[in-house]
Amino acid sequence: MISKEEVLKIAKLAKLSVEDEEIEQLTSDMSGIIEYADAINAAEDEAAEFDNINSVVNAFSEDIVLESYERDEILMNREGGENGYFVIRKSLRG
Amino acid sequence: MSRIKYIQKLLETKEISCVELTEKYLSSIEKQNSILNAYVNVTETEALNTARIVDKKIAQGQKLMPLEGIPMSLKDNISTKDIETTCCSKILQGYYPIFDATVWEILKKQNSVLLGKTNMDEFAMGSSCETSCFGATLNPVNTEYVAGGSSGGAAASVGADMAAFGLGSDTGGSIRQPAAFCGLAGFKPTYGTVSRYGVVAYASSLDQVGFIADSVEDASIVYDSLSAYDPKDSTSVGSKISTEDKLNSSIKGLKIGIADEFFEGIQDDIKKSVNAAIKVYEESGAEIIHFEMPKLKTILPVYFIISCAEASSNLGRFDGIRYGYRTNSYKDVNEMICKTRSEGFGKEVKRRIMLGTYVLSSGYYDAYYKKAQNLRGSIIRDFKKIFEKCDVILTPSVPVTAFKKGEALRDPIETYMMDICTVPVNIAGLPAISVPCGFDKNNMPIGMQIIGNSFEDYKVLNAAHQYEKQTRRYETMLPLSDSRR
Repeated sequence: MISKEEVLKIAKLAKLSVEDEEIEQLTSDMSGIIEYADAINAAEDEAAEFDNINSVVNAFSEDIVLESYERDEILMNREGGENGYFVIRKSLRG
Repeated sequence: MSRIKYIQKLLETKEISCVELTEKYLSSIEKQNSILNAYVNVTETEALNTARIVDKKIAQGQKLMPLEGIPMSLKDNISTKDIETTCCSKILQGYYPIFDATVWEILKKQNSVLLGKTNMDEFAMGSSCETSCFGATLNPVNTEYVAGGSSGGAAASVGADMAAFGLGSDTGGSIRQPAAFCGLAGFKPTYGTVSRYGVVAYASSLDQVGFIADSVEDASIVYDSLSAYDPKDSTSVGSKISTEDKLNSSIKGLKIGIADEFFEGIQDDIKKSVNAAIKVYEESGAEIIHFEMPKLKTILPVYFIISCAEASSNLGRFDGIRYGYRTNSYKDVNEMICKTRSEGFGKEVKRRIMLGTYVLSSGYYDAYYKKAQNLRGSIIRDFKKIFEKCDVILTPSVPVTAFKKGEALRDPIETYMMDICTVPVNIAGLPAISVPCGFDKNNMPIGMQIIGNSFEDYKVLNAAHQYEKQTRRYETMLPLSDSRR
């Protein structure tokens, strides 16, 4: 079982806000799913280490300078970009 | 002749120009899309521009590349430069990528004709396209039912002949399930053979680009063009084997593995159809080998823990600062991010992010995430042992046939359980295909799944193609013929 307080704590970690009227349903949904996930604890632990699917090793690229994206192009997805920066509303006081 | 080959023959013999062909497909979309909701964005100008280039090449007598001039669709989580890519989520509405996904880059080089972006469950989380901010995609076989998901739009686009083939993604069955629901071939290749670069991530260790096509042969042609090593994808391996060349290998002596566990809780008429298909294989000289899969039931929770954990991390990037939706009113940065995410993500996505955050949080990490990863290791080991004795495994694709609208949203756990046959494939990174093998009592299609060992995609495609040839399904289905609708 998961408590409402835990749900709110998780929401904070996940940077999501949960409305008051959503808490009840979300807590019950999450409890149900977590209870279902608990089934894995019944499975025997065989300590089979898992690293990655095809046992690929880290892919390092050569240290070569390649063409990057134009700054203006990147800013195009956000109206109001200024002097090459993303803009959000002033949020520091003082 | 497969649909792709038939179209290229028409183009090369100048029976139809690529512009005319593209216009036919666009008018097919115009006629049907308002009902089916397969496309969320139709790229008419892009399509006709490419078609003109292809016509010029044909006029000059140049030979066409395998997918050149073929009208197709891309799932809306595949990045397309300067073409809106939303993952069918409010949080990405108005987002125009500044780069192409590698798969689209390859198709572009081949002058494949992009007709548009297809509907999907929001961030590929769902089984019916009903979590899409654009609403459900309906099944072309019967519009009382959904097309499945998450690549439901891709399936409906091919099923209703609004595209010759469609690219989708498969994290736990998102290609194979809609293919089964719509009576099509849906192929999920070996993890790492087709680049994931530019495909918006859901669960990176499970996600794989795949294809929905009218026939296994078409799926194989698309795979051969797209299975290349990509330095931009750190998990890319690629594949140099041509599967098309091996499609006609004899299946005499092919060892097909069957496990009873895969048939538990399966709808009766599906069991019957899959068993009939097994008979077809036996009659062709294949050998049936029975094995046990005692861990099957634990694979679903393992999948769920891993996919949600990876999703919670992958979807952390959506903060409203650089692109996509941003909330209107906020006091500070933290509130801006929280409100943007809460207003931008749908219910199912938020639920999975929350569950993922929970299983990764301190105090629960070992009990859930670490345990699930260890089990994943032992499941992979089990599959390796099975493939020492078998060439392929045959199972139903989905325990049920297509749902009616609204049914998939009722109970989340019940809906997750519908992925029981498809999920093990992603957990182990294997190749698998769903091919049609019959109809239920309501005349809705039934799919069976053929699973292969890693990098033996050719065996999967060959086994599926041989079945399809025996049952002669696709020869009667030529593209854009009025008899089909």
